[in-house]
Amino acid sequence: MDKARKPHLLVDAERPNLLEDRFPHTLPPLIRLSGSAVEIIDGKPVEFDIASVKNRDIVITDTTFRDGQQSRPPYTIDQMVHIYDLLAQLGGPNGVIRQTEFFLYTKNDRETLRRCRELGHKYPECTGWIRAVKGDFRLVKEAGLQETGMLTSCSDYHIFHKLKFPSRKACMDSYCDVVKAAFDAGVRPRCHLEDITRSDIEGFVLPFIDRLMELSAKAPDELSVKVRLCDTMGFGLSYPGAELPRSIPKLIYKLNRECGVPSDRLEWHGHNDFHKVHVNGGTAWLYGCNAVNTTLFGFGERTGNPPLEGAIIEYIALKGGLCGINTTVITKLADYMRSIGLPIPDNYPFAGKAFNTTSAGIHAGGLRQDERIYNIFDTTTLLGRPPRISITDKSGADGVAHWLNEFFGLKGDERINKIRVHELARWVIDQYDVEGRLTSISDQELEVKAKELFPDFWARCKSGRS
Amino acid sequence: MATIEERIKLVTARVLKLEPGEIRPEHNFAVDLGAESVQSIELVAMFEKEFGIEMQEDAALAVETVGGAVDFIRDVCKQQGVKTEG
Repeated sequence: MDKARKPHLLVDAERPNLLEDRFPHTLPPLIRLSGSAVEIIDGKPVEFDIASVKNRDIVITDTTFRDGQQSRPPYTIDQMVHIYDLLAQLGGPNGVIRQTEFFLYTKNDRETLRRCRELGHKYPECTGWIRAVKGDFRLVKEAGLQETGMLTSCSDYHIFHKLKFPSRKACMDSYCDVVKAAFDAGVRPRCHLEDITRSDIEGFVLPFIDRLMELSAKAPDELSVKVRLCDTMGFGLSYPGAELPRSIPKLIYKLNRECGVPSDRLEWHGHNDFHKVHVNGGTAWLYGCNAVNTTLFGFGERTGNPPLEGAIIEYIALKGGLCGINTTVITKLADYMRSIGLPIPDNYPFAGKAFNTTSAGIHAGGLRQDERIYNIFDTTTLLGRPPRISITDKSGADGVAHWLNEFFGLKGDERINKIRVHELARWVIDQYDVEGRLTSISDQELEVKAKELFPDFWARCKSGRS
Repeated sequence: MATIEERIKLVTARVLKLEPGEIRPEHNFAVDLGAESVQSIELVAMFEKEFGIEMQEDAALAVETVGGAVDFIRDVCKQQGVKTEG
């Protein structure tokens, strides 16, 4: 440890170094990767060219209408069609949101799919989701889909205790029969390896993947099997040195390099039971899965899935550009979800009502001087969400001034300084010191006081309002 | 006409709820006279009103003592052509 120690000299400067090549503010902070990562696998160092993620065709896939509906009452058809339309706008013409999957079992499921496809969007491509039952391919064919996901659970918890197979071989044979049925039906199967992070990798998963690769070799290229790694219980780990079956790098290595499943046929599907869901998705991208499966705002079974909007921001950060993504649609989607009764916590990143709101006076002071000090990126342009101040007794005159200037839309020299807001700042303090208030002050209350104490600004900036 | 110092002491006493006689030039507004953050803002606003001047926000808030305020306000009055004493 001591050998690593070295002196560090102050690099004095009279101009700030704001590291704008990494924190451009016009985009989310960029994730710059250099070199490779090394993982010890089966006793040998294995290199992963993680920086290549910038040039690989990584994509986001969506399961808002499948896993996302397993945590809430069903969406109506109209709601799903509207959400699908917004997903297409968000992902843009390059198909950053490449696919979304639909149930096919009920009349409503099929009508939803028909109406979504009727919109004519190239992306997200609609795919299906069925049980691993041969007869279900009829539904996929009738719906005119090219690809469907199918359950191929791979832990012994599922094989023996849930599906009641008498042996692993019986299980694998059954799965492979269904894959052959998919080929026969001209449908590309996407095998969902449920519970992979709790399965016997060497004893079942890899032999099964070998079989799938053999079967794929005999099928047309466009039908070759895709593999979804389903971290069903959220056990997956991104940490270097973590062991199988929980290590995401090692899982991907085994499938990608030992079994030869190409990156564009590998997809990660996570769950958030241990608060690891977003980083695990990003890790899968870095180590060789081209697709990360997500849901809007992370809604999904139990604790949810990788949040789609989080993956969008991560994608931009990794790629260094918008790549056709329209980030402002995140706000439209959040507003829409709230309007149909899906709660999004106020402090939820990128979409909660208060995600870029501060109530600390010292932070408000920073915002007043330079937005970049306390706003993560240009949320006004990218999300249509200017940074805001929540007024409490901790806000100070800085916070009150910032709130007023944002409320009146004042810029530059016309902004009201904090000396001018002393009466409103005093009213705020007295709410707590004199009135004994314990809650933050609402925008509505502040608007009333703003009208009373700043009639000139009100007349100039808010004319037409009552 | 009262001096700048006397007028500053009167304003300070009113805002901080003190007796003018308790206030001395060397007193620090925050440390000795107990001015809280919002009261510092109120003091600057009240000085502006008392003298009919406009002060630069950051410079005014950087003044720490009563005597410092006397000097600062005298300069601002002079710059802005505001008559103060005599």
